[in-house]
Amino acid sequence: MLPKPETSPTTNIRKKKMSQSVKDNITGYIFVSPFFILFSIFGLFPMIFSFYLAFFKWNGLGPMTFAGLDNFRIIFADALFWKSIYNTVMIGLLGTVPQLIVAFLLAYALNSQVVKFRNTFRVAIFMPYVTSIVAVAILFSIVFNNQSFGLVNSIIGLFGYDPIVFTQSEWGAKIAIASMIFWRWIGYNTIIYLAGMQSISNELYEAAKMDGANLFQQLRYITIPVLKPFILFTVFMGTIGSLQVFTEPLIFFNGNLRPEGITVVAYLYRDAFESNFFGTASATAIVLFVLIMIFSLINLLFTNRVGRSKKRGASA
Amino acid sequence: MKKWWKQAAVGVGLMTMLAGCSDGESASTPKDGKVVLDMWVFGTTGYDELAKAYMEENPDVQIKVQSTEMGDHHNNLFTALSAGKGAPDIAMIEVGEIERYRDAKDRFTNLNDLGAKDLQANYLDWVWNVGSSSDGEFVYGLPTDIGPTAMYYRKDVVEAAGYPTDPAELASTLATWADYTKFAEEVKAKTGKPVVDNAELIFNAKRDQASEHYFNRDNELIVEENAEIRAAYDYTAELIQKGTVGNMPLWTPEWGQGMADGSYATLLGPAWMQGVVKGNAPDAAGNWLVTTMPEGAGNWGGSYLTIPKESEYSEEAYEFISWLLTPDNQLNSFKDMGLFPSTPETYEKEEFKSYTDEYFGGINTAQVFADAAAQVVDVYKGKNYLLVQGEIMMALDNVLNSGGDPDKEWNDAMDRIKQRLERE
Repeated sequence: MLPKPETSPTTNIRKKKMSQSVKDNITGYIFVSPFFILFSIFGLFPMIFSFYLAFFKWNGLGPMTFAGLDNFRIIFADALFWKSIYNTVMIGLLGTVPQLIVAFLLAYALNSQVVKFRNTFRVAIFMPYVTSIVAVAILFSIVFNNQSFGLVNSIIGLFGYDPIVFTQSEWGAKIAIASMIFWRWIGYNTIIYLAGMQSISNELYEAAKMDGANLFQQLRYITIPVLKPFILFTVFMGTIGSLQVFTEPLIFFNGNLRPEGITVVAYLYRDAFESNFFGTASATAIVLFVLIMIFSLINLLFTNRVGRSKKRGASA
Repeated sequence: MKKWWKQAAVGVGLMTMLAGCSDGESASTPKDGKVVLDMWVFGTTGYDELAKAYMEENPDVQIKVQSTEMGDHHNNLFTALSAGKGAPDIAMIEVGEIERYRDAKDRFTNLNDLGAKDLQANYLDWVWNVGSSSDGEFVYGLPTDIGPTAMYYRKDVVEAAGYPTDPAELASTLATWADYTKFAEEVKAKTGKPVVDNAELIFNAKRDQASEHYFNRDNELIVEENAEIRAAYDYTAELIQKGTVGNMPLWTPEWGQGMADGSYATLLGPAWMQGVVKGNAPDAAGNWLVTTMPEGAGNWGGSYLTIPKESEYSEEAYEFISWLLTPDNQLNSFKDMGLFPSTPETYEKEEFKSYTDEYFGGINTAQVFADAAAQVVDVYKGKNYLLVQGEIMMALDNVLNSGGDPDKEWNDAMDRIKQRLERE
């Protein structure tokens, strides 16, 4: 009987103690909780389960059997796994590097005063980004059709070359997939660069012009240095995005993923959802996770270094 | 204080709303004493109309038919069965997909327990066997329609090659695969066109005449030692190297265009391909004909109606599906939607025998496919069938498009198959 009267005063005290700031905190947490609840169900749980699965063999229906590191041994011994990593990096480079350069030039053009109907162009360049990937992939499979009447093949045919079987050509498949990525993401990056360029004060350019700087010098000494954080952001996003390329090869190969263009995610998809080998698929997912971490770390180190050099520049 | 509670209530309300989304109306709850059966189907089956007729006769049963696109349907079903929750009372499973569930007997009701054994005699043996375990003790599902294969051919191309265009005459001229090779060479010489649309269908046609394919009934990989499959592969490679195989992969726009233009002589396809041909080549009426293919037939497609274990009303569900798939009702499905019956008794019915199709030159196509259905070889496929098939197709693709050496490509394919099967 004794403890009871003792507890009620303490809770009373606690209730009284719940100050406005605590209440605000609770309110805040409740407001953000829907995201965290949904994230833990649909994001965190699958992630942790995938780590767990990587050490088991499972077909989705039967019992799971512990396999230790066997799943990793199997994928590391598979030449196609290494090929898929190589493909992912190659497609990433082919799709991202030219894309960022062209996006930069486009943004520069759209920002300049000489171009008419700038708003129309801005909307037009952003359009591909809001297009469904599946629609893009289907469209590009027609452009890069294996038959001689495909758009690219008929152009090649005009110069007297034989039609290319894109789905079975080492570089043809990669270029076709990379060009989908190029086309779809160029608008997104252009808009980011454009936003960055618009934040640059015109005075800088005017001063440079007074000093007799030409267009290239303005670009080299004003635009690029100021845009550095924007460029780093796009490189960062591009790297992660290109490591996860999946829909494009799947649609381009019509579900029949060939070694010429299979990416890491497509490789794990094939294991998991075509053959129901969830163990090796999860192991591949973990390897991909580590790969993305490594690439992100490299990016981060790069960013930090740039940040330092900027400071030095400011103090000088 | 009041404000705080209001906000919390809104937050909780939002959460329950979101959580509520995941809990659909999938649970079959009896409404006014009625048994509610959820049924998942894909494609155009016309089963909703038949379900209505059944509900009129059985007022205490309510059937909800939900039709989804084939790929999504099977993904949803696999997820539900894997999770052990959310599967319907009746699920349609395509013949290729049913292989995935070979080991998952615990997820389905054994229809033998509900009396399926008595129905077995109604159905073609090979169709029944695909829907049951290899010892025949466990029946996963009742067969709906089937896809016996025959040879579709272009009258104009066959004529230009100097071959008879009458279905019976052509079938007797092309009685063996050796005849077919000669035919292929003639077609190429006289018209410059390939004899088939792609390597896949010629390989499948010959493969389906083998009594064993890639796995034996103990689920051991036998493809490498299987001389019949190797013969099918070599035959296809030979035709490829003679330049008589087209490069129009299935379901691509150029494949459909080829059908309309008559870019190839024959299409070795199943009964349901009739609709595809009509759809792709609406102007070619009378130019496409059907006859039996050399040395026998195979099966491509068709489905089974299964009852997942979690269904509370497996008996009522069984009552309904056994009614839906009687020879009489299969005749209805054939007339309405062109689903080819899996019950040989239907083939004897007057309406079936007098069936003609103006598009296919006014011949009785149903009879051609009924004859084919009788020739299909009973074969065990196994759950990793599509994996093996995919790798062999890749080998043939390499021979066709990259000039690969058939022997080397075969060996590479065998290595890839073994490598992938290690993951099981």
